[in-house]
Amino acid sequence: MQSAITTNTLTKCFGDLKAVDSVTLSVKKGSLFGLLGQNGSGKTTMIKMLTGQMKPSSGTAQVLGTDPSTEPVAVRQVVGIIPEQETPPSFLTSEEYLSLVGKIRNLEDIEEKSQWWFDYLDFGDKKDVLCKDLSRGTRQKLMFAQAFLHKPELALIDEPLINLDPVMQRKVKRFLTDYVKSGNTIFLSTHILEIAEDICTDFAILHKGKLLHTGTVKELTDKNIHLDDFFMDLVERGPMDV
Amino acid sequence: MFELLTSMFKEEWRMHSTMFGNLNFALFPVLIFGIAFMGAFLIPLIRTIMDLSLLVLLVHAGFVLMGIMVGSFGLMGKEIMNRRFGQASLLAYSARSLPVSEKKLFLNFVIKDIVYYFFLWVMPFCGGLILASPFLGMGLYYPLLVLLTLTLSFLTGLCAVFLLSSGYSRSKKAFAIVIVIMAALAALFIFGFNGGITALLPPLAVFYSLSAETLAVSVGLILALFALSMIFFTSEYQSSEKHYKNRHTPLSRRLARLPAHDLVAKDFIDLYRSGIGIGQMIFSFLLPLVLIWVMLSLMGGFLSEVKLLMIFAVVTGVIASTMYTWLTEFDAIASYMFLPLQMSSVMKAKIESFAILQIIPILFLTGIALFSGTLVYLPHALVLSLSVSFYALAVAVRLCGLSPSSLIYSAKVFLTYLLMIGPPTIILIILAFINPVLACAGILLLFPAQYLLESGYAKWDAADFAGF
Repeated sequence: MQSAITTNTLTKCFGDLKAVDSVTLSVKKGSLFGLLGQNGSGKTTMIKMLTGQMKPSSGTAQVLGTDPSTEPVAVRQVVGIIPEQETPPSFLTSEEYLSLVGKIRNLEDIEEKSQWWFDYLDFGDKKDVLCKDLSRGTRQKLMFAQAFLHKPELALIDEPLINLDPVMQRKVKRFLTDYVKSGNTIFLSTHILEIAEDICTDFAILHKGKLLHTGTVKELTDKNIHLDDFFMDLVERGPMDV
Repeated sequence: MFELLTSMFKEEWRMHSTMFGNLNFALFPVLIFGIAFMGAFLIPLIRTIMDLSLLVLLVHAGFVLMGIMVGSFGLMGKEIMNRRFGQASLLAYSARSLPVSEKKLFLNFVIKDIVYYFFLWVMPFCGGLILASPFLGMGLYYPLLVLLTLTLSFLTGLCAVFLLSSGYSRSKKAFAIVIVIMAALAALFIFGFNGGITALLPPLAVFYSLSAETLAVSVGLILALFALSMIFFTSEYQSSEKHYKNRHTPLSRRLARLPAHDLVAKDFIDLYRSGIGIGQMIFSFLLPLVLIWVMLSLMGGFLSEVKLLMIFAVVTGVIASTMYTWLTEFDAIASYMFLPLQMSSVMKAKIESFAILQIIPILFLTGIALFSGTLVYLPHALVLSLSVSFYALAVAVRLCGLSPSSLIYSAKVFLTYLLMIGPPTIILIILAFINPVLACAGILLLFPAQYLLESGYAKWDAADFAGF
C-alpha cells in the first residue's frame, strides 16, 4: 500500500536536547494514524517538521511525495493543518478568516464552503464575531474548518478535540472516521489515549523523542489489550512485543 | 510585596532574554553606554553646526518619548505577547488568580518598569557621559545633572502614558478628556505663562536652572500624573461580543491591483479594528514629529527654513519606517505557518501595506512645507524622506523579519541597525545642506534597499520558525 507520509531517521535537536530522535515511520494512505506520547515527547515537533514549519537537524521526510524541508509551501498547499494552539488572526471575524484562507488556497465557492462548516460545527452565530472574542472551543472549530476547507488528501492535526464539548467531540470523531473511509488520510497527535483507541486505525508511540512502537489498533484489540495499558507498560517499562 | 517585585523583574528579563539570548540582551545597556561615551566626544563637533540647546532639547525629548514607549509596551504587553507568542501570561495580569489587589499589582508593575528601564536605558546613557566627562574637561556637574534631568524626563513620559491608558481603560470619553486637559495645560504653560518649551518639559527647567523650585515642579508633575493614573486605574476592561460586517472581501476586491491584496486588506482591517492604527499614528508618528518640528522651529534663527525642512524630511523618513512595526504587531507568526505561505510572502504583503501608509508622511511633510513657506522644496524633501523610509524599512526587514519590535532589543541587531541607518542619513543631510537639489540623491538608497529586501526574504524563508 502507498504511503502518505514516510520518515527516515528524522531528527530534531534544540541545543543538547533531541526533541525527535531518529524516527523512521510510514503512514499508509487511507489510515487514521495516531501519534501518541506524553507532553514533551516530540509530537508537535514531528508535525512541524512534516509540514515544513521546522527543518530537521538530520534525516528525511516525504509527505504525499514531497520533501517538506525543501518545498514547505507545496506541502502546505495540499495538506490541512490544525496546530496545537488555535491562533486565528485577532481582528478578523470567523467568516473573514475562512474567506482569507480560501483565497490564499485559491478556492472557488468559498462562501458556500464556509457556510457548510458553520452549519456542521454549529457556530454560524459566531461568524461575524472577531476571532479574539471567540471562546477556545469556537476557535478550535474555526481552525478545524480552515484545515478542511479545501478537502485535503491528508490532514495533520495536533490535539484535535482538546477544547471541544462532548457532543462536538463525538461529531468531530465521526467526521474524521468518515473522512478516512472516503480515501483520505489523517495524521493526528494526541496524549488522550481514549481518542486514539476510539478512532485510529494505526498508531505510533513516541517517548522522549524516540519511537517506541508502531502498529495497528486492531492488533491490540484482537489480543484484548487496551491501548492505555499498552502505552503505560511501554512508557514505564520500555519496549515490548505485541 | 518584595517577592512579587523581584518576580516581575525576572519575568521582564526572561521575556527579553528568551527572545535573543542572555548575552545578546545583557550587552544592550553596554552598547548604549558605548554609544553615549563615544558620542560625548562628538559634542564639540556638534556645537559647531548646532546650538547646544537644540541638542539638550532633543536628548530630553528623546527620553520622554522613551518613557512613553516603555509605558505603552508595558500596558499593552499582554495583548502584544498573546499575539506574538500565541499564549502568554504576565504577573501584572494575574489579579484574578493571586490574592493581591489590582492596584498593588499595578504599583509593583510601575516600580519594576521604572527601575528596570532606568538600568537598561537611562543609567548606561548617562554612565557613558559621566565616563567621558574628564576627557572632555567637563567636570562631573553636568553629566550628573543630565542623569537627574533625563531620569525625570523618562519618568514624565512613563507616567503620562500610564495616566492616558488608565483613562482609556475607564472609558474612551475619559481618555479624550484626559488628552484635552493635558493639551490645555501644556498650551496654558507655554503661551499663558510665556514659559516656552521649558514649561512644557519641566526637567529642562531643572537642567537650565537647578533649584528647589524647578525640581519640585518637575517631581510634582510626575507624582501628579502617577497619582491620577492610580486613581483612574482599573483592570476591568469592558469586553463585549461585537458583531462585524464582512469587510475583508470588499476591501480585498478594491485592492485587487496589488499582488498580495488579500493580506493587505487584512492588515488594514487589523489597523482599523484594533485601534492601533489611530493610536500609533498619534503617539508614534504625529506626536514625536510635531514635537521635533516645534523644537527645530525654535532653532529657526540658526538654521534656514529649507535646511530645517531637509532635516525634518530625514527624521520623518526614519520615523515613518517604523510603520512596518505597526503592521507586525497583530499576529503570531504561527498564524501564517500552517498556510501555504512563505515568510517572504507575508513580508511582501506588509511592505505593500507599508507603501500605502506612506501617504501619511507625504501629507504631513506637505503640511509642514506649506506651513513653513518652503513648498518649492517639497518634491526634494519628499524624495529624501521616502527614500530614507524605504531604506530603513529594508534594513528592518533584513535584520528583524516579521519581529522588528522585539528583535531590535538584541544588542547585535540594534548596533547593526544604527550603523546601517546613521551614516547614509548623515551624508544625505550634509548633501541637502550643500544644495537642496542634492537631497534627491536619496533615491540612490533604493538600490541597497532592494538588495537588502531580496537577501532578507531569502534569510527569513530559510530560518526555522522560532516562535515569535
